[in-house]
Order: sequence, then C-alpha cells, then structure tokens
Amino acid sequence: MVIQKEKKSCGQVVEEWKEFVWNPRTHQFMGRTGTSWAFILLFYLVFYGFLTAMFSLTMWVMLQTVSDHTPKYQDRLATPGLMIRPKTENLDVIVNVSDTESWDQHVQKLNKFLEPYNDSIQAQKNDVCRPGRYYEQPDNGVLNYPKRACQFNRTQLGNCSGIGDPTHYGYSTGQPCVFIKMNRVINFYAGANQSMNVTCAGKRPQHHRNKGKPTPEDGRDEDAENLGNFVMFPANGNIDLMYFPYYGKKFHVNYTQPLVAVKFLNVTPNVEVNVECRINAANIATDDERDKFAGRVAFKLRINKT
Amino acid sequence: MEFGAKKETVAPLEQLPRPEPKRRPKSSKLRKAKWKQKDLEELKKEVVMDDHKLTLEELSAKYAVDLTKGHSPRKAEELLIRDGPNILTPPPTTPKWVKFCKQLFGGFSLLLWTGAILCFVAFGIQSYFYDDFTKDNLYLGFVLSIVVVITGCFSYYQEAKSAKIMESFKNMVPQQALVIRSGERIQINVQNVVLGDLVEVRGGDRIPADLRIISAQGCKVDNSSLTGESEPQFRSPDFSHENPLESRNICFFSTNCVEGTARGVVIATGDSTVMGRIASLTSGLKVGRTPIAVEIEHFIHLITMVAVFLGIIFFGLSFALGYGWLEAVIFLIGIIVANVPEGLLATVTVCLTLTAKRMAWKNCLVKNLEAVETLGSTSAICSDKTGTLTQNRMTVAHLWFDKTVHEVDTSEDQTGKTFAKDSDTWLILAHIAGLCNRADFKAHQETLPIAKRITTGDASESALLKFVEQSYSSVAEMRERSPKVAEIPFNSTNKYQVSIHLLENSAQPYVLMMKGAPERILEFCSTFLLNGQEHPMDDEMKEAFQNAYLKLGGLGERVLGFCFLNLPSSFNKGFPFNTDEINFPMDSLCFVGLISMIDPPRAAVPDAVNKCRSAGIKVIMVTGDHPITAKAIAKGVGIISEGIEPAEDIAAQLKNPVSTVNTRAAKAIVVHGSELKNINSQQLDQILQNHTEIVFARTSPQQKLLIVEGCQRLGAIVAVTGDGVNDSPALKKADIGIAMGITGSDVSKQAADMILLDDNFASIVTGVEEGRLIFDNLKKSIAYTLTSNIPEITPFLMFIILGIPLPLGTITILCIDLGTDMIPAISLAYESPESDIMKRLPRNPKMDKLVNNRLIGIAYGQIGMIQAVAGFFTYFVILAENGFRPVDLLGIRLKWDNRFVNDLEDSYGQQWTYEQRKVVEFTCHTAFFVSIVLVQWADLISCKTRRNSVFQQGMKNKVLIFGIVEETLLAAFLSYTPGMDRALRTYPLKIAWWFCVTPYSILIFVYDEIRKLIIRQRPGGWLERETYY
Repeated sequence: MVIQKEKKSCGQVVEEWKEFVWNPRTHQFMGRTGTSWAFILLFYLVFYGFLTAMFSLTMWVMLQTVSDHTPKYQDRLATPGLMIRPKTENLDVIVNVSDTESWDQHVQKLNKFLEPYNDSIQAQKNDVCRPGRYYEQPDNGVLNYPKRACQFNRTQLGNCSGIGDPTHYGYSTGQPCVFIKMNRVINFYAGANQSMNVTCAGKRPQHHRNKGKPTPEDGRDEDAENLGNFVMFPANGNIDLMYFPYYGKKFHVNYTQPLVAVKFLNVTPNVEVNVECRINAANIATDDERDKFAGRVAFKLRINKT
Repeated sequence: MEFGAKKETVAPLEQLPRPEPKRRPKSSKLRKAKWKQKDLEELKKEVVMDDHKLTLEELSAKYAVDLTKGHSPRKAEELLIRDGPNILTPPPTTPKWVKFCKQLFGGFSLLLWTGAILCFVAFGIQSYFYDDFTKDNLYLGFVLSIVVVITGCFSYYQEAKSAKIMESFKNMVPQQALVIRSGERIQINVQNVVLGDLVEVRGGDRIPADLRIISAQGCKVDNSSLTGESEPQFRSPDFSHENPLESRNICFFSTNCVEGTARGVVIATGDSTVMGRIASLTSGLKVGRTPIAVEIEHFIHLITMVAVFLGIIFFGLSFALGYGWLEAVIFLIGIIVANVPEGLLATVTVCLTLTAKRMAWKNCLVKNLEAVETLGSTSAICSDKTGTLTQNRMTVAHLWFDKTVHEVDTSEDQTGKTFAKDSDTWLILAHIAGLCNRADFKAHQETLPIAKRITTGDASESALLKFVEQSYSSVAEMRERSPKVAEIPFNSTNKYQVSIHLLENSAQPYVLMMKGAPERILEFCSTFLLNGQEHPMDDEMKEAFQNAYLKLGGLGERVLGFCFLNLPSSFNKGFPFNTDEINFPMDSLCFVGLISMIDPPRAAVPDAVNKCRSAGIKVIMVTGDHPITAKAIAKGVGIISEGIEPAEDIAAQLKNPVSTVNTRAAKAIVVHGSELKNINSQQLDQILQNHTEIVFARTSPQQKLLIVEGCQRLGAIVAVTGDGVNDSPALKKADIGIAMGITGSDVSKQAADMILLDDNFASIVTGVEEGRLIFDNLKKSIAYTLTSNIPEITPFLMFIILGIPLPLGTITILCIDLGTDMIPAISLAYESPESDIMKRLPRNPKMDKLVNNRLIGIAYGQIGMIQAVAGFFTYFVILAENGFRPVDLLGIRLKWDNRFVNDLEDSYGQQWTYEQRKVVEFTCHTAFFVSIVLVQWADLISCKTRRNSVFQQGMKNKVLIFGIVEETLLAAFLSYTPGMDRALRTYPLKIAWWFCVTPYSILIFVYDEIRKLIIRQRPGGWLERETYY
C-alpha cells in the first residue's frame, strides 16, 4: 500500500497537534473555524434541547399514570424481608463489654431508633387498636383518606425498652438486645388473619455452612449451643395483626412498625455466633434460596469478655 | 526491509555485473541473509548475461563441457551437489501457526485484546482491594478473548479454504528432460539438470533450464509467460540481439517449445534462471497493507480517542464526586472497555466473507479476505495484454483478396458477421491456407467447437487451420483429396513455405502453393487473381497490395501472403519432386491474397474497460508485446478510445519528437520499454499523470513493477492483472493482484490476491462493483453497530454521576453486541446499492474514510443519544411503577448496592431487601436491553440508506427483515424463557414495558428521514457536510 508509515519525529507530532488545536493559517480551532463551531454547537443545542423536551414530556406523562397511593406493581414484594437493629455494617453485632466505645454507638442508634416508640408520643399520635385483627381503614368513597396508625409502646419491649436501663439494652453486661422488624409492604395482610411470631435460633446461614469450622459429626449445632438462652419481647416474639395493613407513607403518616426484641442472656463469650431469626406466618415463605432476607434475617453476634 | 526507501537507487540504466553463478553459501546463515538482502536489489535490475554473445568454443570452455558428449555422470552429480537441484525455491510459506496468529492479533483484534486485558486488570484490582466484588470484569475479559479467538478461527478457516483451491492449481506431475551425458541421451527429472548439461528439446516440451542453443531445426518457443509476446519465436544458434531476452539463441526455463527441435547448453538452473530471478523478486517484495486494513486502523484510532476521552473526563468527574482513586480507576477501565464494539470484528469478518463468497460465485476467487474491498477502492488497473485482455490464441482477423479487405469474426463464440464467400478467389485462398499448412487437429476432438480444439503446430498455422475448417470446409477432407507430395518448410531466411499437392482429375496434376511474408510472396508473383480471373501484375495492384499490407500491419496483425502456381502438365503423376535441389518452377506465381492474424481481444473486454472508465478507473495496458500490436489491441478494447491519437502518432504527423507534443493535446500515449529505461521516476509520474490512456509496450517484469510503484506514488490504489511469470512481481506489489485461473502460471497465482477463475477480465468489473458495495454497506453496518454503543455506555456514566441503580449490566450489553445486533448488522451487507455505484469516481483513500467523524457524530451524538434517552425512559418507568420514583433514585446507589441494607425504603415507604430490589434492577437491565433492540429497529431501517429515503430504497432486503424478526424473538427469548433469571439474570417484562420506547423509535425514523431529505434537497449543504457519512 502506498500509505507507508513514515516514522515521524517527536517534534513533528507535537507540531501537528499544535496545528490541529489552533491553525493560525485557516483560523481553525480543533479543525473547525469559529463559524463552523458555532453552527455545529447550535445544531447540537437545538437537537439536545428537543430531546430533553421530549424526554421531559414522556416522563411527565408517565408520572401522571403513577398513583400516589400504591405502586403499580408489588409482585417483587410478595415476601417482606426482616431486618435487625442496631444495624451494623456487615450485620454483625460485636460487643466488647469492657470497651464502652464498642457498643456505645449501638446504644446511640437504638435510642434514636426507639424514640418514636415512646409511650407519650404513641399516645399522642396513634390509636389504641383491638389486638388480634387487622386495622383496616377503607377509603369509604373519600379518595386517599389519611389513615390512622396503631400504638406500639416502647414499654412493650420490656427489658429491652431501654427505659431507665443502666445496662444500656444489656450491652454493658454482655446481654445485648437485638430488635427485629419486618419490612413494610403496602396493603400486605401479614399472617393471613392468623397470629404470627418471630423465632430465633443459632444457625449458620446456608452459604456459610461447611466453611470455616466443620460441622460436628453428631449433628450437634455449635452455634445453637453457643447462643445460649434468650428472651423475647413482646412475649414469644408475637407480632399483632393490628399493625397491618400498611397504607403507604403519604397517607399512613404516623405508622409505627411493630418490633420484636431479643435479649441474649448467656452467649458464649469470645465466639462468633450465627443467629437466624425468622417469622412464622401463614403467608410468608421463609425458604427463598436466593433472598436470604425474605421472611428471615441472619446476623452474627459476638460478645468479647476479657 | 523497507522497500520504498531503496527505490531511488535502482536506476534501470545501471547495469551491474552478472551475479556470480549461484554458489549459495550454505555454511553461514548470516551470509545467506546478507545475500538475500543484496539479491532483492539486484533482482530489480534488468537481466544481465553474456552467454548469448559467446562462441561455441568459449561456451564449451566456460562450462567445461564437451558440446557433443555432454557431462560425465560423475561431473553432473558433483555439479548437482554444488548448485542444488534445478527447481525454483518455493516462496517462503508462512507457517500455519503464524498465519493463525496474524488472524488472532491483526488489526481489529488488537482493540478487543486491549479491552480484554483492561478487564483482567480491573478484575485484578477489584479482587485485590475489595472483599465483595462482582466477577463481571472477569467474564467480560473472557468473552472478549473468546470472541477474538472464534473470529480468528473463522477467518483463518475461510482463508485456508481459498488456499486449498490454490493448492489444487499446482501441477504435480514431475517434468522430464532429455540430456546428453557421456554421449548418451538419457531421460532425467528436470530437477537433476545441472549447469553445462547438454539438453535436447522438442516441440511440446517445457524448457528445463535457461539454454544457450547450439543447434536447432525449425525450433520455435512460446515466450508469452515470460515476455508477454503472443507469437512464438524462432530459436537458432546465432547471436541476434544484445539483449539476452531478445536474442535468438537463448531459451528460457519454463517456457514452451512449440515446434521443431533444438539442442542447447544449460547456462543457468533453478533460481538463477531468468524465470527464477523473477520468481524470487516476487517473493522478496514487501506488500503493503490493504486499504480496508488502513481504514480499520483509522477506525480503531477514532474509537480509542473517543474511549480515552470519555474515560478521562469521567475519571476526573468521579474524583470530583468524591469517589476513591481505586473506584475511579475501575470506572476508567469500565468506560474504556464499554466503548469497544465487541461484535464489530465478527460482523466485519462475516460481511467480507459473504462478499468473498458472492465474488467466488461470480468466478473471482479471493485469497485474502481483506482484498475483497480493495478492488472497490481501485483507481487504476494495470492490465497485461496477452491472455488477459486477449484470448491468447492467434485468430484470423482480416482477409484481403479481390482488392478488398474482409473482416473476420474473431469473437470466442463466432457470433459475428461473415464475409463474401462467393468469390472464386476465396475458394483458392482457402485451399492454400488449408493445404499449405502443417498444423493439424489432435485426435478425438470432434465434439468440441472448432475454436476450442487443440492443435499441433505453429500458432498462426493453427489459426489458419481453424479458420478454414470453420468458414470453408473440413481441412482433413481437403488434404485427402489433394495429398501433399512435397514441401519446403518455413524458415526465417526464406520467410516462405511451399507445398506441392496432387490434384484430382486435372490436366495439370500438380499445384504449387506458397505462403509467407507478403513482400517475399509478391516477389514470386507475376499475375494476380481478381474474382477468380488471372490478371497480370501491374503497378496499381502493387500499390493496392502495399496499402493493404500496411493497413493490416498497422492494426498490429501478423500478415501472410498466399499464392499458387498450377505446374505445367509436363510434371505428370509420380514426378519425383526434390526440395533440396529444386527441380520445379518457383516463379511467375499467381498472387491470391493476404490473411492477417491477431490474438484478438476477448469479447467481454471492451465493455468491461468501458465500465471501468465510467467508474473512474484508469485502465493502463502494460505488456511485453510490441507497441504496434499493443496499440491495436488497446484501440480494440477501448483502452485508447476511438478517435484519440496517441502522442507519438501526433508527433509522427507533425514530424516532431514525441517530447514536444503538448501533453494536453494527447490524451493517449504508447510508451516503449526502451524509453522507460531512460527516464527517472519523476518523468514516469509525469507520464502517468498527464495522460489518461496509457499503453506500455515491450516492458520487462522489473519495469512493470516500476509502473505499479509509480501509480502508487501518485496515490492510486492499483490493481494489476496478469497471467505470466513476468507479471508476478507487479501482481505482488499491487494493492490487489489479479491472476488468471486457467491460463495463469503458478507463480502469478501465488503472487496474486485474487484469481479470476474464468480468465474473464469482465469479472473484474463485478469485483469492483462488489468491492464498492461492501465498502458502502460496511459503513452502514458500522454506523448501526456503533449507535448502540451510546445507550450501552450512558447507563454506566449515569450510574457514576447520578448515583442511580445501574440501568444496564455487562451481561445485557453482551447480549446486544454479540446477540441481537449481529444479524441485523450483517444483513446490511445484503443491502442493494443506493445509486449506480459504477457511475461514480473511486473513493479517495485520503478523504473518504470508512469511518469518519460524521459517522461517529450521527451514531454517537444523534441517534445513539435518542436511543439512550429511550432506554432511560423505560428504566424510569419500571422503577417508578415498582415504587421508586425518579427523584428518589438520585444518589441511592451506595445503599442500593449494599447487600446488608435489607430495608431500603422506596417512595411509598415500602421496604426492600437487597435481593428484591436487585430483581427489579435486573428487570430494568432486561427492559433497557429490549428498548435498545426496539430502537435499533428504527436505526436499522435508517441505516439502510445514507442518502435515499427508505421509501425509495424499499424493504426488499429479506435478510434485514429476518434480522429484525430474529433480534426481537431473541430479546423475547432472553426475557421470557424460564431459568433465564438464573442463567443470565434477565427477567420477564410486563407487555406494556415493550412499548415505552415507541415514541423514540418513531423519532429516530422521522429525524433520519428528514435529515436525508434535506441532504437530498440541498446537495453540498451544511447538513450534508456535517452529517453525510
């Protein structure tokens, strides 16, 4: 081929680039003259202006079709997830009993988290509902009528309420409280009209099994042994039906999410314990293989004592 | 070795001493390499030898051989060991793995490899610094590598297939030679012939080595494969010309002895023969890159620039947004890799293969895939004459009798006009032509058409034989009726041939017939035949003869005169004619007429030349044949157009030297090889530049090479056609060498990039058309493929800048690039041309690029942006309908991608686990992917044309429609097949989500139609200058 690669010297390359950036002969900046730049920029300005307008228009039309009340599709939320408080980075609750700082942040977070549950606030804002049945509030013809919420008083959490608790939810004594809550899903009738509760057990999550420590041959679960005893508030880890259904944050403003507190009484110290809590409810499957948080929550607990 | 740089040193005039008779230093590799380097330069010079000037004694002394007995077997063996066997060193074949590696690492693949390596680097960084990382980069790296390997295998396989066809051309039969050793004649293999061997050749033999003739009987050789001369040449022991190539006493290796016998001394064997030197010159030439390779490199530059530009901008931006340097580096790599069009390499390869297939179907076999397009870019064709433009078969073209010139149909299939056959003169002329003729048909060919039958004997005698057989009657019967009783064969001193035939039932039983050089024949004649009546020869007749002779000679034809004499009745039956001591009258003959022969042009050539012309391609004839013949054929095929006088004709008329002729006045020029020797490259450039119709005659292989280089120096993309060994250096040097499949020599086929399987020059026109079409269609294909790059990159950019969940993942990007986009992109190769592509000029390789910034502007800046917006719209629709309004998505990225946040709140207060929202995210990926597929519909239809409206072009491309259906079905398959959520993480879409992009599809279509409308209405306007790619 004719186009033979001539070795250009470094200076030539720089010179060519200089000329490309600004060519004094033709008054071209980056290969275009001023007017040329003006035209092309104007073209793209108009083009993108139009495109932006069109995008805005289609988005506006779309948002008109979206209801404020409920999302159009909820099929991905068939099973609400479970979550713990205090929430830590990797969902591991590590408490160095002697090191105040290690758990102080948990305590701070919990204080803040439980503040709306104070009995006074609850009494002021929310209704006292009849336990054991759903608190349905039909619109009755008034579109998106604001909904009332049921009270969940902090005192229901008993020893884990942290009210007048010198042990700071048990963190200073190595008997920490962990709070379990179920994700809010609009119009979800959890429990299908039957009572439901949360249970916890020492258990390695599926994907961590057979990794690290081998499972003892006699089937004895190390984690269960290490976990020891615990108590739950409300008793049995019950969640009452009256907290359902949820009507969405816009119309169910003061909705208070029910909680279950678990106080671990004698966790084997200096060992990492895997804990899994799950909800037992008729219409909540807890065996989703891919979603480890569907109807359950797994976390690690470690109490370090010197 | 840099070829171009050494050109200047090769002044053709310079005559260096002949290279040492080859004694290749086998001991030292270093010296061998040096020899090779020096050799190529020497090879480019004209052949120099002096053996033809030596007397027989000197010759005998030089080669230490007895000219009657030959070498002793022992000496021959020694020489064989010293010089090696008498074979041409086959061109260094590239090992298969090197070829394979070239496919793997050449051109486009390099871009993908870079991408793959970057991916692995990114993966390495991620796995080193993060505990929690995706393996996307690893997969992407592997996919890129696999794509390159598969495409490499595919193109390797394609080229191997053509190579196989090439192999089948090779003549595997070992040749034999008759040598005299120790006085005995023995048959040996040609490869065992040594320097100084005494060799005998007979008609039909292939010359086994370069020979100095020491004795010959009526020996004629066909040098056409070496010099391009179509007529067989006499060979005799006399030294007749300074130039060894023209001297009569030298026969060249691998030419053919047509008739007669000769004995000669071997003066060169193997690679040191003239033929060997040309062959090694050919294999030593460096070939440049194909135009398409240059285009692809330019494209890679553009893409890389865009990628690096985007990468660096977002690298800076991610710092400004507060990302860590590690993340910024990952982003940088991600953006650069995202710019790599994964599927394009495969698309381009397949498109080229399809065209190669289509061309092979039309009898153009392409050896190198990239050469498919080269013919389309060609702006000059240097064509050999013999066998390429002509049929390489002497054919009777004109008759002159009764003082009239009669034209004979010379076309291959004899469909043309006929001439007046009712004259008695014609009967006699036909008899003489048939009887005074030594040629004959070989047996068992009765079923073949006459023109195709194989004959024995001289080319012109064969031409006469076929002519008589065709237009008169069976020559065999004629000969049976009038048997030959005596004959004086043709020789170069007499320049005539005489035969005496017995006539049935005649008072005068014998007739003497004579044919030969017209001026010699006329000397014998005292009367002439006019309409069957004898008239005494007069001046008027002589003048008419002279005019006819000049006219036919001026047409480049070989003219023979015919006369006869009815011998007096005194020569009664059984008279013993003696041809040595002539005992019969040979004067006062009766002149009958002239027959002229030419190697006629192929029927399809004039039309093809014309088409090339209108396609803006300069057709230059480069031949080894004589200028007159060359000019005649050039005029015949339209290389010199009608009514245009070549410069030297004008000069002759003005009686001025050629150099004074105004080049503007003379469009055409015929350049003789000897003139070419005396001019430098600037002058050659001048000739090539100033004349549009050029014929180079009497050129040597080296000069052909110089001419090709000259054209290339002027920026032309040169195609060379040829069939002989003499063409092979030029074939190799050309941007595309085109060899003839049937008549072509092996060496020329080796050197060529393309082979015309039917030897039809007209196939070149097809090739040009296909080449131009594929160039246009590749543009469309690339524009189509590149467009989807923007909707593939912008999601990642928005993910970085706006902190939204990733709208489109790596897997879905690959689904587009290697899945849904492939067949539609390939289908554009089937698109029919928008206008008559043979009516426009060849593209200017400097200006008209395959991928230019206008194409990038359209694909990236305009259509791509609309597509991206369409994709984002779908994405926002899905998220909004699932509970995440657009505003709430901004900045959500960190929480969204944190697998420990399992209570992420949406716009309605609902809480999502990681997996739940990831399912929504992957649904978005699927939807974004489907959106791209759907907007690519519109893009595909827009890319069908560059200027015309789709409504003008129509939707006749069935492959394209299939492509649209296929990509849609594939998208649906990927979305709805159960298990895809696990395999590729693609999820079923709600039907409504398929229609989100409809307004944008319409926008693309309408926008592009309007753009093309304006381009059509305002040719040369701003929009055309800025957006016509």
